[in-house]
This record gives sequence, structure tokens and C-alpha cells, in this order.
Amino acid sequence: MSGACIITLPKNRLICCRFWDNECVLYNQLTGETHLIDDMGTEIFRLISEKTATRTQLLQSLHSVFEWDIDFDVEEVLDNLILQYQKLGLIVVTENTPA
Amino acid sequence: MKLATLSKKAVIQALNNDGLRLKVGGFNVCLSSSVVAVADHLLGLYGAFDVVDHTAFIDFYTSIAPPSKLRRFFRANVNFSFDGHIPFKPLPYKQASALFEWGLNWCIANHSHHYLVIHAAVVERNGQAFIFPGTPGSGKSTLCAALVSRGWRLLSDEMTLLSVADGWVYPIPRPISLKNRSLDVIRDFAPDVIMGPVIKNTAKGAIGHVRPPDDSVNLGEIPVQPAKLIFPSYLKGSKTELTPLSKSRALLKVAENCFNYNILGLQGFNSVGDLVDASDCYEFKYSNLEEAVALFTELAH
Repeated sequence: MSGACIITLPKNRLICCRFWDNECVLYNQLTGETHLIDDMGTEIFRLISEKTATRTQLLQSLHSVFEWDIDFDVEEVLDNLILQYQKLGLIVVTENTPA
Repeated sequence: MKLATLSKKAVIQALNNDGLRLKVGGFNVCLSSSVVAVADHLLGLYGAFDVVDHTAFIDFYTSIAPPSKLRRFFRANVNFSFDGHIPFKPLPYKQASALFEWGLNWCIANHSHHYLVIHAAVVERNGQAFIFPGTPGSGKSTLCAALVSRGWRLLSDEMTLLSVADGWVYPIPRPISLKNRSLDVIRDFAPDVIMGPVIKNTAKGAIGHVRPPDDSVNLGEIPVQPAKLIFPSYLKGSKTELTPLSKSRALLKVAENCFNYNILGLQGFNSVGDLVDASDCYEFKYSNLEEAVALFTELAH
């Protein structure tokens, strides 16, 4: 996944979010499913519920909020989370290709 | 006019003719039945409820009746019907009054989507609704009966009706259903409670109903603001433990205990979200009712 790819919530407010501390709950209007998200995931949704973000921006934001062990591969974890959320229809990922 | 002012003969007559029309919380229920035990159940436990006249709008037309004349005598059993529709298999004749209670629960849970219907006991103290969601066996009805026996107002022991429009809890005070060991626990804890006959060998074991306090019935249309959301868990021998629960997790647990969360869709999600926002949320382990009542009384101050 390239750093420039854009991560957003689906259109038409299909995903509704409620945030409390380091957790959030998402409701998917399309599937009727409710999801509990914590820690890194909460920060991802907090950011993209305010504005569209690139993968690079998400990484920067996560680095500003969390402290990790030196051997923790945050990029791999982020990419896995993005893939999972995409599969669940909670986010939309668009490759930001130059015109 | 209160049901208690009617004679047994008049109640039986009403049940056998056009049906007995009762105000139960915000609902008007019409019940027809030829089963005498149902009349006894109503007279014993619904005495404080208002009888409504024939001009009143009826929300639920129900009946408890044998499926056929033969079945009055041979392996006697009874059906519950709602608007002429029979949603359940017949039950033994001796379980007629329990079937009425279960049937009415079913009517409310399936036809009241202006409320988020939560499988939860709910009681009130000092203007605050304490909501106890829980699966069968979690001890919510036992806790509810104990609190009510110590002067808390009963809103419901089975279903919390949370208005989708204003987020308040609307009461539906009815007899508190106790099962198996809870029957003796409450008899020991509160010997003054009025309990109907115990119905044995039901699908849920032995069932008995505690009469709701008259004050709670008389306030049956006055809603209360939610204040505490407490997930009880009765564990034999456990200490009394009240542990804060995150609002996100509370939301999920409430959603799991709703009858119509999926039907309400986004409205359901928003209602549960607003409920947890307005409430302090806890998990609660207990085995000692005295300690539990003391703790919640303190919490309500």
C-alpha cells in the first residue's frame, strides 16, 4: 500500500461512529453490523471521520499519539487494519495516482 | 376503576365475554379466557391495575384458551393468541397464567418499535432509572424484586422501554417473574412480598410471580431519565463487586440484549449510544442481596 493512497469513510454517512476515550463503536447502515474498535483503530477512525487522510498522514498521526517498542512494525499493523476495515466495508481506500 | 374492586365473578364474566381490558403501563390490553386460574392470577397480582372501558383504544387483543373442547379434558393444554394469531405451541393447562405473562412480553417486544426494547429490569430511585440488562439466569429479576421490596419503584422486571423519541425510560410495571431458587431467595429476603402460586415444570423450571407494588402501578405512565446501566451477574459465593465498564463496551452489551435493535437500525444505534452517554456504566457481581441493595441505595443518593 502506497503512502499516498487515500482513506475515507464510505459516502452517504453509511458508517456512524461514536467515540469514548480510546474506543469507538461503528454502525454500518448497509450491513446493520455494529463494531467495537479500540486503540490504533480508534485513532484511525477519529482522524478519517474529521477529514480524508492519506496512509502517510495516518502513520504520522499514530506516531504522535502512541509510543511503541522499537521492534514494533507499525506500518504492517496499519496496513493489516486498513485491509480488515476495507473488507468490512468500514472504509474506502483509493490509490492516489497522478493525473 | 381498579381491578381489585371487581368481584371474582365479574372478572370471570368479563374474561369469558368481550374480554377484560386492563391498562398496563402505556398499553391497553384486552384478555379473553375461560381458564379460572387466569382470573385468579389477575385478581391476585393485577389488583392495582386500572380496568379501561369499551371506548378505549386497545393495543393488544389477547386470549388464553384451550385449542379444542377435547383438550379441556384430555392432556389439557392452552394456547395464547394475539389478534387471532397463535405465535407459540400450546402449553399445559396449569401453565396458563405464565403463558399470559410470556405472551404479553412477546406482544410488547414485537410490536412496540417506538421504543428500544431492552431485555432488562429497571427500577427507579430519586428520579434515576437503574437499568439491569441481562440474559436469563443473570439475577436481574431477583435483584429487581429485592430492590422493589425495599421501596424502589418498579418500572419493569423484564423489559426496559427506552423511548426512541426522547430517550426516557417508560414504565411497564407488571408482576415480577422469579424462577427456581430465586423464589426462596426472595421469600427469605422479603417475607412480606405477595407471590402468586408457583407453576412447576415449565420450560424455565418453577415460576412464581411477585405482585408489583401499588405505587409503582399508579405511576405507570410517568417516565424516568436513565442514570445507571448495570450488567448484573449472580455468582454463588462471590463478593459484591461493582466495576466501571467503558461506554463502548456497554453499548455493545446493550445492543446484544435488545429485542429490536436490528429492526430500528440507525435509530437503535443512536438510542443505545445516547443511553450509554447519559448513564454511568458498570458490571456487577453479587451473591448477597443485602449488600447489593445497600450499594445501589448509596449509589442513588
